[in-house]
Amino acid sequence: MRKRGKNRGMESKDINRKSTKKIILVGNPNVGKSVVFNYLTGKYVVVSNYPGTTVEVSHGTTKWRGKNITVLDTPGVNSLLPTSEDEIVTRNILLNEKDALIVQVADAKNLRRSLLISSQLSEMGLPFLLVLNMEDEARERGIKINYQELYSLTDARVISTVATQKKNLEKITEELGDLREATLNISYPPALEEAISQIAEFLPEENISPRSIAIMLLSGDKSLKRWLHARLPESRINEIEAIRRSCQAGFDQPISYLINQVRLEKVDEIVRLVTMIKPIKRKRLSTRIGELSVHPFWGVVILIGVVYLLYQVIGVFGAGVAVDFMEKTVFGEYINPFFMRWTGRLVPMAWLRDLLVGQYGLLTMAMTYAFALILPIITFFFIAFGLMEDSGYLPRLAVMSNKIFRLIGLNGKAILPMILGLGCATMATLTTRILESKRDRIIVTLLLALGVPCSAQMAVIFGMLSGFSPMMVVLWAGVVGLVLAVVGYLAARYLPGESSDFVLELPPIRLPRIGNILIKTLSRIEWYLKEAVPLFALSTFILFIMDKTGILINIEKGASPLIKGVLGLPVETTQAFLIGFLRRDYGAAGLLALARAHTLSAEQILVALVTMTLFVPCLANFLVIVKERGWKIGAAISGFILTVAFTVGGLLNLILKITGFKI
Amino acid sequence: MQFNWGKRKPHCHIRGPFCHREAETRDRAIDELLEFIWNLRENGVSDVADLQREASDPEARNILSYMEQEGLFAREGDKVYLREKGEEKAREIIRRHRLTERLLMEIFELSEEEAEKEACKLEHILSPEVTDSVCTFLGHPPVCPHGKPIPPGKCCTAPEKSVKPLVMPLNDLDPGAEGRIVFISTNFPARLDKLSALGVAPGSIIKVRQKKPSPIIQVGETTVAVDPEIIHDIYVKAV
Repeated sequence: MRKRGKNRGMESKDINRKSTKKIILVGNPNVGKSVVFNYLTGKYVVVSNYPGTTVEVSHGTTKWRGKNITVLDTPGVNSLLPTSEDEIVTRNILLNEKDALIVQVADAKNLRRSLLISSQLSEMGLPFLLVLNMEDEARERGIKINYQELYSLTDARVISTVATQKKNLEKITEELGDLREATLNISYPPALEEAISQIAEFLPEENISPRSIAIMLLSGDKSLKRWLHARLPESRINEIEAIRRSCQAGFDQPISYLINQVRLEKVDEIVRLVTMIKPIKRKRLSTRIGELSVHPFWGVVILIGVVYLLYQVIGVFGAGVAVDFMEKTVFGEYINPFFMRWTGRLVPMAWLRDLLVGQYGLLTMAMTYAFALILPIITFFFIAFGLMEDSGYLPRLAVMSNKIFRLIGLNGKAILPMILGLGCATMATLTTRILESKRDRIIVTLLLALGVPCSAQMAVIFGMLSGFSPMMVVLWAGVVGLVLAVVGYLAARYLPGESSDFVLELPPIRLPRIGNILIKTLSRIEWYLKEAVPLFALSTFILFIMDKTGILINIEKGASPLIKGVLGLPVETTQAFLIGFLRRDYGAAGLLALARAHTLSAEQILVALVTMTLFVPCLANFLVIVKERGWKIGAAISGFILTVAFTVGGLLNLILKITGFKI
Repeated sequence: MQFNWGKRKPHCHIRGPFCHREAETRDRAIDELLEFIWNLRENGVSDVADLQREASDPEARNILSYMEQEGLFAREGDKVYLREKGEEKAREIIRRHRLTERLLMEIFELSEEEAEKEACKLEHILSPEVTDSVCTFLGHPPVCPHGKPIPPGKCCTAPEKSVKPLVMPLNDLDPGAEGRIVFISTNFPARLDKLSALGVAPGSIIKVRQKKPSPIIQVGETTVAVDPEIIHDIYVKAV
């Protein structure tokens, strides 16, 4: 797997060097851009982060006029005046890629929003091909577009396609040779026009028109700051800001909003002229399903059903059957013995042997962990996630849970990483990127690390609790849940930064296409391998060093008074907690072993489990937090969690002792 | 002209001193006195003594007797009561005053004091057409912000079709009904940008598909789930 990933990367670099032009796909979200992209590029796809951001951009190649040429799939945008990181990336690509062939993939049934993007491309002075996709869905809804009229009004090259059926897709490359600038230019109120031309005069000739950049600046676009500073002296920048301010002073509404309104007016005029709508009364089944899935009652029923299915597929099958098979059979019987045998023969140094195949060996621990324990879980998770995404259920899930998350100052989108957290908190921390504000990301990262037990840990915890009365489960879940709610609430209240608005577009419910899901899952697995596996290796290595240098034993000694005094647990549990930092489930497993030996009372088990669940995240999770949020926040989160875990555990111990409560 | 103010006279039924600086002309003074009588009645008193205390200086007493001559009000023993002509006039003033208060406080979010001050000016000059438009705009509110009844106007009893308020928060639109966005009031420019990029902007036809568990709005073929505050901030005109 890894080898193939590497080859792919090299191949794309070679092509980059050879090609003179690129094809760039832009468009609104959910318009079939990735289907068009997959059609053009076939199998060779590289997903990478856009430099300096966490936004993914897919690269691939296609044949055009007998040559290999790079195709870029940009993140979906609703406006090229950016309001999100995704939109910044797409705008920056258009700003920086010279002489690209631009293909705007658009939703034929939503011509209005498509033309809103077209008008901005036209404003930038970029020639483009307008691909009105999902022509079948438009027809089903009784929407008819007069393509001839649209062409004559806008001068934009237009073709209509049904990407999922490959209908007309071959025309894209045919038309690319003959692109021209569209004439969808919009004139704004005189006061704005004057400010635009004043600012535009200061701007250098770039890949996109100074006018379009001036409009962005006038709208108060802060994402251009660095670009601006690289090109203009400070005094000019201040002048531009002064023009913006005095222009804004003349209007009650924000300039960006005024500009959007003028654009919409112009677009609406065109839409009126080129579309005919014959209302279709019959409700489609997909619409009905879509409505039910957000219904106050049926939505909950469907939600429970979906969560149960997820649990069955990811938890029971992925984390149970598949992990068992990978861990016990594939790694336990074949791979690890194989490595041990060969390192035994080939590596004479004992320490190196230990590093590779010892208790904290890179091969035996890191690789087993990454490939046997996590890979099966996240593979099933990604398949399930892809199905929910492509069917359109995912945003509806967020609608259903918005109310609950609002209670703790987040919004419904937070449910997605939380669900993944039940699989693996390390992976889930990476997916907090889907949240818009930094503040929301930090809160979810904190909650994930604090109290969302991962599947491996959960399995052991349930194993331990199963011998006791259901009261034990209720108390454990109750205490952990309460801590999560309180910490979430307080964090949302006191963390600086605004909570982001919940404005989430709901795409129509569609039948997912298996091919598309497989491609997505593969590229996500590749992403996991690149991002998370090195961290597992690093954390194992740190463990190995700590073990060899005796630090591990010293920490154990130092921590035992805390364990004994505050939590009222026997000294032997110290090791379980320490290992819990390295691997959450191993920690719980250590407790399980002690519980089996009857060295712990029921109350002690409860205290130990609550503390263990709240305890610091595993090392890999910690490293991912540091990678995503930086050292400062990583250290703050860990310190906070450590304090909370021992305080709550200590309090619980105290309460149980004082009340003499027996479980 | 000098007015005296009883102590049991808070906000809308009896106004602050601002009103009286404005009440320079005779018409205004008449308006004020009619309003005073109306408010007395609402408080369950109609003593001539109160009225005389209210209009204590010679100029005001002059106006009072003019009003009596004109048949706006009458005395009966130590009680005053509005006659038909005065009743009608007072009713309109009260209606204009209280509707204006609602408009200023709820829609324009003026402070109570400011709203009071402006309402005092506007109650004298609003035309019947504008008054009815304001009433319709506000959805024919039955009471003022202080809970005092607003006398209904013609617009309130008009046939069903025109009774619908002209402009209302999207939240008040029935699920499934369509409205045209008139304006979006919000203090967050980023939210305006986000909504307008999705095509949610003045002029667009919008409908609320549902309000619970999370509001879902639809513009054309675009369906968007939003926070409840957002549909309170979008003002629409029913179509």
